[in-house]
Amino acid sequence: MGSVAEDVTPTVEKKKSSSNSTFTRVIKYSGFRLLSLFVTVVIGIYLTIMIANMGGYVDQMMKAEIQERITMQIQMNPAFKNLDPAEKTRLTEERIQNEIERLDLDQPLAIRSARFLKNALTMNLGRAQHMTSDSGSRNVRLIILERLPYTLLLMGTSQLILFFSTLFIALALSRKYGSFWDKVVIALSPTSAIPAWFYGIFLILIFAAILRILPFGGVIDAPVPDDFLGRALSVLKHLILPASAWIISTFPLSIYNWRTFFLIYSSEDYVDTAKAKGIPAREIERKYILRPTLPTIITSFALLLIGVWTGATILETVFNWPGLGRVIFKAIGLYDTPVIVGTTIIYAYLLAATVFLLDFVYALVDPRVKIGSGGKS
Amino acid sequence: MKNFISTFREILKYPSAIFGSLVVLALVVASIIVVVKIPYSEAINIWRGGEEIVGKNPRTVPPIWYNWFRKDKLVVSLDMVEGDEGVTVEETVTEGGTNIKTTTFEFDYQYNSFPQDLVFYFTSTYQDKQPFASVKIFTPDEREIKAGSFAIGTTHTYPLNQDDKLRKKLDGVVPNIGLFIQEGDEAQKVVQGVYKIQVELITFEKDSTAQAEFVMHGQVFGWAGTDHLRRDLTLPMLWGIPIALAFGLIAAMGTSILTMIIAAVGTWYGGFIDGLIQRITEINMVIPFLPILIMIGTFYSRSIWVILGATVALSIFTGAIKNYRATFMQIKESTYIEAAKAYGAKDNRIIFRYLVPRIIPLLLPGLVSSVPGFVFLEASLALLGLGDPVLPTWGKTINEAYGNAALYRGWYYWILQPAALLMITGLGFASLGFALDRVFNPRLRGM
Amino acid sequence: MMAEKTLLQVKNLKLYFKTSRGLVQAVDDVDFTLAPNKAVVVVGESGCGKSSMAKALLRLLPRNVGEYSGKVLLNGVDTMAMDDEQYRTEVRWVKMSMVPQAAMNALNPVMKVGDQVAEPMIVHNAVDKAAALEQAAMMFQRVGVPVDFINRYAFELSGGMRQRVAIAMSLVTVPELVILDEPTSALDVLTQANIMNLLKRIKKEIATSFILITHDISTSSELADNVVVMYAGQIVEVSDNYRFFTKPLHPYSAKLMASVPRLRSKVEPDFITGQPPSLINPPTGCRYAERCHKRFDKCAEEPPTVSVDGHLVKCWLYA
Repeated sequence: MGSVAEDVTPTVEKKKSSSNSTFTRVIKYSGFRLLSLFVTVVIGIYLTIMIANMGGYVDQMMKAEIQERITMQIQMNPAFKNLDPAEKTRLTEERIQNEIERLDLDQPLAIRSARFLKNALTMNLGRAQHMTSDSGSRNVRLIILERLPYTLLLMGTSQLILFFSTLFIALALSRKYGSFWDKVVIALSPTSAIPAWFYGIFLILIFAAILRILPFGGVIDAPVPDDFLGRALSVLKHLILPASAWIISTFPLSIYNWRTFFLIYSSEDYVDTAKAKGIPAREIERKYILRPTLPTIITSFALLLIGVWTGATILETVFNWPGLGRVIFKAIGLYDTPVIVGTTIIYAYLLAATVFLLDFVYALVDPRVKIGSGGKS
Repeated sequence: MKNFISTFREILKYPSAIFGSLVVLALVVASIIVVVKIPYSEAINIWRGGEEIVGKNPRTVPPIWYNWFRKDKLVVSLDMVEGDEGVTVEETVTEGGTNIKTTTFEFDYQYNSFPQDLVFYFTSTYQDKQPFASVKIFTPDEREIKAGSFAIGTTHTYPLNQDDKLRKKLDGVVPNIGLFIQEGDEAQKVVQGVYKIQVELITFEKDSTAQAEFVMHGQVFGWAGTDHLRRDLTLPMLWGIPIALAFGLIAAMGTSILTMIIAAVGTWYGGFIDGLIQRITEINMVIPFLPILIMIGTFYSRSIWVILGATVALSIFTGAIKNYRATFMQIKESTYIEAAKAYGAKDNRIIFRYLVPRIIPLLLPGLVSSVPGFVFLEASLALLGLGDPVLPTWGKTINEAYGNAALYRGWYYWILQPAALLMITGLGFASLGFALDRVFNPRLRGM
Repeated sequence: MMAEKTLLQVKNLKLYFKTSRGLVQAVDDVDFTLAPNKAVVVVGESGCGKSSMAKALLRLLPRNVGEYSGKVLLNGVDTMAMDDEQYRTEVRWVKMSMVPQAAMNALNPVMKVGDQVAEPMIVHNAVDKAAALEQAAMMFQRVGVPVDFINRYAFELSGGMRQRVAIAMSLVTVPELVILDEPTSALDVLTQANIMNLLKRIKKEIATSFILITHDISTSSELADNVVVMYAGQIVEVSDNYRFFTKPLHPYSAKLMASVPRLRSKVEPDFITGQPPSLINPPTGCRYAERCHKRFDKCAEEPPTVSVDGHLVKCWLYA
């Protein structure tokens, strides 16, 4: 019946992987996946460009704005008082034309958007039309990169705290089904329907307006403290309220979801079998509940990473937090298309990369999934 | 039908469901009442404000019920005309056709703080000769203060605070304070008691008429207070309900149903179409939701219908499709569908007796649970300044409050009222959706 | 049927579940005994409480337990009196193990099957992983599974193979009692026969006792030394296999046997009309009375358990 007959204690052979065919299969699949993701990214970005321009509508607005502005400028400028009307008109037109060319508004939309797209995809994010970075540069990439750390700080801290604490608490909670705390969590979960910025307003009301122990917003005190420790503490102080707002909003539902998830997984038959085998409870939790749920946990973590990036535009607005969300908001207010699109592009790339990596991680963690077997449920 | 009742009873076992249903029911009923009692066009009109509509309201004051919690009551606004309690009219006719009408406005002032202003509104009719008005104030500590006297046209507004002569008479103290303190009182302690304001209106023609209206802008007003434009906040609070509900429900229903249809199409046709839907979903993931809405709001239109449409369009291609797909797959392959086809059931019958009842459990909880998200989305956009420009909504109110630094300046009611309403709405729908999920989701049986 | 040594003695075992519709009395005051190296088959319809009895014996309780009481004596020691930790270290898989129903779900999908079979050795016999895997490999051989399957996952095995692995797993610590819950109901006929042969062989080689829970009387007839019949949460007959398969005592058992098609008989299989009673509010008196073709007045009272020639029957016909 297939056993090794010679030895009394049969040796256990390691399964040899059929190396070559698996390798080529993985490569082929990865290539295909990369291509389709790339197409997705391209289409997504193009759509964003089109929307950011409203199909040429924004161009018209900008041209009108330029016309008005420059005409005003020339009227007001005392140096030009003595020019006769014809000359003034000519000068005005010349300046308008310059401005239009500077902003590339004279090219037809199709060409502009195509060029935009090509640049975007090569991460050449161009120059902003109105916005500047802190150092005065108009380089969109720089502008974005300057603001990024703030968003990362806020969202990263909040999300990481959330992720690990909710997982841990939910696992503990799933052992105590029907207990008091279980009921409390269930009762409180609808409160997550209220977004973070909402809680933020309340927090500001209580801690900044009434109690006056935490700041209303911003990221650091003014005047800025001299030493590093002072600065760090100041930033930390400003971090408390927005991070708390995010955590308070997301916490209840997160715990509920994970707890339900673990409950479902702990009622599987193989968990019962493990229990019958007399395996200690902690080991069952580790090998029979956590391990099978690992793919889901990892996916969730990946999505969390994406969430860190996109940040919370409104939360940042409410707290005057100088992060990426505020950048987008400001850019939209200034009709600064390159910045809007630049942010979207980086986001799109990050998303595509995460999705791609996820496939690999899935295969590593769940033996039922083989890369390229189309194992996406 | 029996099935429906038993499910209903099961839902009611959860206290969260009871709370949620009550809240939702109350909101729906309130919406209907509001829309009927204050029709849309009237609401928009009132909200637009303007002198005629809101002039008589004080500016940025909290609601009346603040006084329920205070020992030291704030000044309640007054609006007195002829025929009201405390208003007495005496008319004297002299020869030559002049009519002297003395209207006395009497009120008992028992507060420790001062009103925002005292304003007189005159209306008159005449042919050639304008009527003449003069105002005298009699204080409880027996001062008699002569305020202005002047001719009035068909309408005339006389705010006491803008009368510099009166101010000089009160030693340079602003009338809304000066009238209520003793002369020369540096501590500005309020003289409590009955104040009488005598308005003398003299008309010179036989058919000429004149009326006076006395308004005291107090420190509290109405059920919800007022904003920086003197608008009564009860309107946006009340009208916010149907707007929020409409937006939330339409968005939720539109999204859920369309997502379901797309999933059905994908499952039914399979192959290429299915793959296409998956690709579109991925593209939708790439496009950032909120920034796009912000862009549309900024560049294109802030009309709530446009925003609604864009929201739904961006929300239908999501991961939720996968859930519907799974159920549809199950159903498609299931044997009872095969059996139904085998015994010759018509497509209609299959759809309505078999498919739809299987789908509703999946559809309903998700639908209800997504309503708060959309309600808050509308509020978020309003907060960012992209709300519908004419509609009186909760989000708009918060936006204006924030823009006027309400939290800094202690005008908490301005933010807290719409915030509380948003919260109740959100919690109500979320609780209900939650309970529905626990009843309908087969995987949660017994959890 | 009382042997000198009893391995297992069950007295007044009760297991009730709390449900939204009431208290389900799944195992209602059950008594029976089992001698060493004997196989007893527990038969009954779906919903008669036999799976619940397995759970009760193994202390695999769900979250909604209403009542769990009685005595379960293993070699004279009452396991019900033990606390969970003592039960875990002294009874689970040491004295008693189980072979779960032949479902895909009984084995951990993300662990190699070899590891799962070796696990109890590591936990209870304190051996290291290598030694445990060796033992596992030996069991694989015993049950007829290729040894290199140790590194496979559950989803890579066929149904029959999985069941063999489960059997190997149940025997790896050489317990005295193995409870098998419907071990072959999800398998095809050929595999069923194979598994039954395997069990017979194991019983001879390793001298364990079996409790085989099934609704399939015909296949289990080969393995059984004794038969226990359950109906509506109660035991209605305990008999040795010869007597049971030729001349069962209880009317229900008789009907059960009559419902088994025979290979060379011209007699049509018989069936029982009606449905078993609900376990939420079981009827008073004999629970089978409603469907019994031999019922009479006395059946309105709860019948006693009577001994007939060393066999037990719960029926007024023999009282």
